Amino acid sequence: MSSLSARLLTSVSVLLLLFFGATIIVLDTAFRKAGEQAQEDILDGHLMAMLAAAEPTDKGTLGMPPDMPEPRFGNIGSGLYAEIRDSQDSIVWRSRSALGLEIPVGIVPEEGNHLFLDEALADGTPLRTLSLAVQWEFPDGELRPYIFKVAESLDSFNAQLAQFRRQLFGWFALVALIMLLSISVMLRRLLQPLRRIESEIGDIEEGKRASLSGEFPTELVGVARNMNLLIDSERARSDRYRYTLDNLAHSLKTPLAAMRALLNDRDNSEFAGRYNEQIDRMDEIVRYQLRKPAASTAESLVLTPVRVGAEVRRLVDGMHKVYHDKHPAIDVDVDERIRFRGDTGDFLEIAGNLLDNACKWCESRVRIRIRPLADASAVASGIVLAVADDGPGIPEEAADALLQRGTRLDESTPGHGIGLAIVKDIARSYGGTLTIQRSEFGGAEITVTIPPISEADKR
Amino acid sequence: MRLLVIEDDATLLQSLTAKLGESGFAVEQAADGKEGLYYALEYPVDLAIIDLGLPEISGLDIIREVRKQGKSYPILILTARDRWQDKVDGLEAGADDYVVKPFHFEEISARVNALLRRSGGWASSVLTAGPVTLDMSRQELKVNDAEIELTSFEYKIIEYLMVRAGQVISKTELTERLYDQDFERDSNVIEVFIGRLRKKMDPDNSIKPIETLRGRGYRFALERNQSG
Repeated sequence: MSSLSARLLTSVSVLLLLFFGATIIVLDTAFRKAGEQAQEDILDGHLMAMLAAAEPTDKGTLGMPPDMPEPRFGNIGSGLYAEIRDSQDSIVWRSRSALGLEIPVGIVPEEGNHLFLDEALADGTPLRTLSLAVQWEFPDGELRPYIFKVAESLDSFNAQLAQFRRQLFGWFALVALIMLLSISVMLRRLLQPLRRIESEIGDIEEGKRASLSGEFPTELVGVARNMNLLIDSERARSDRYRYTLDNLAHSLKTPLAAMRALLNDRDNSEFAGRYNEQIDRMDEIVRYQLRKPAASTAESLVLTPVRVGAEVRRLVDGMHKVYHDKHPAIDVDVDERIRFRGDTGDFLEIAGNLLDNACKWCESRVRIRIRPLADASAVASGIVLAVADDGPGIPEEAADALLQRGTRLDESTPGHGIGLAIVKDIARSYGGTLTIQRSEFGGAEITVTIPPISEADKR
Repeated sequence: MRLLVIEDDATLLQSLTAKLGESGFAVEQAADGKEGLYYALEYPVDLAIIDLGLPEISGLDIIREVRKQGKSYPILILTARDRWQDKVDGLEAGADDYVVKPFHFEEISARVNALLRRSGGWASSVLTAGPVTLDMSRQELKVNDAEIELTSFEYKIIEYLMVRAGQVISKTELTERLYDQDFERDSNVIEVFIGRLRKKMDPDNSIKPIETLRGRGYRFALERNQSG
């Protein structure tokens, strides 16, 4: 139930169901009541006609003329029946239509009273009956009790009722469907600007656009404008922060270089050596502590995803220049579709340091391989970046120490340790990890795994 | 060899210039981007050392402009920004290598020598052509495995010619590249030095390492060894 339209549609459906349900119940009850009333009136009419037509017979009992005004009484199984019973419940007269049927005696009403009952024939056919108990005054002045009863099968009434209900449900269902459809169309139109915002934010995340377009309905203009302001200020803030630190590092390093140059100009005494050591330490501190900080995952929205393949090619071209004499064979195995969700500088720092170390230590072979972590088609999936070389490799016991900040495995090749420590730091800021293994070429293989942004957020 | 150093920090610039001078290079110095670009385009340069963070015109722009003008001499970047982003930008703009500040001078000198050698098409710092072997890192010249004693100026000449083995180098070019700017320029001096070199390297005139092309200049004539 996360989408607005699903919520609205569900609410509307429930409402429609309640409303139509109540209406159906009311209409159905009214129809049934009216039908029953009409039927009772008809039964009453038939009973009155019977009373009017009944005649005492020669046998001292009641009888009916053979031609009843209602022809249904004369047709067998017509569904309209009538009978007259005496006080001992024995049948005095029965309509021709009831031939072969047994109309239940049921409850006998008090004298002079009408009684409507719902009864059933022996075969289960439901009946509505009307009984009337009368004292019939014979010409000889004798009063004898009789029970007049008319019954009508409910089959046709029920059929009518069912038909009515079918129509009722049918029409209401149709109306409800049309309403739901039109509401969902309306919703789609209504929510379209929201969808656009959503897709534009998606575009920003994928780096296809820089900000939200201005064309939104009045209610959303403010939201879009504030969103754009937020994105812009976030961009500016992170740029400024990086720029400041970067400049600080830069402006510290040139004096360091000048200090070293001055020292070397003087002499090569022990004093100069000790000073140089301190300069090295300061240099490392500047490099490590004042380096441009890695982008946080929160900044992902404002960063353009990095086209990994192109950046790796730039780096490899650079490596070929710098390691011109050594001329290592650098094998690039990178899925072109992969995008790194983060800062270009951070990616270059990771891949650059690893490639540089590999070129430095290798005999002749280096391979960089980048694979998506999860789904190859996902733009923002995590990545697995592995750089392998055929150099001496990194002994297991040294691997741990190497990952500690600033520890150098070999003092003669400066910066090996700090490079790895920087890579590890950046990877960690993206929620990733760094592992050191032996490569299939015999040297070291360093693998950096960076999870998708959604997972990195959880850490 | 004539180097151009563009660096805005005065201390660093002086120190670099002095040290490179000691190592036998003629050094041109520029303290800002504008001056640097002018020298880079208008002066004879064998290699440029360019700081990336320069006033007036940035190091990157100088490199781009130099390459756009068709100059192909090697460029070494000095950078205080050791981010890969900057290194890659510099290399992409047309630089050939980088050194990160603060550096040891030995690093610079090693890179400079390697780049110069590379620009002459040599893969190693030991250049071998026929019986002649020149070790650039030790500044040693051997003929048939016998070391030849050279003055520093003689060494500069043979290094310049040998790195550019096969190319014709004019006397003017040699004077320009091997003297500092304010040195007295006299092309007869070159002739004298070439004569001395020939005598030292080839006393019985059998291998003829240096060829004279009348009116055009000199050429190191021996075939270079592919392995060297």
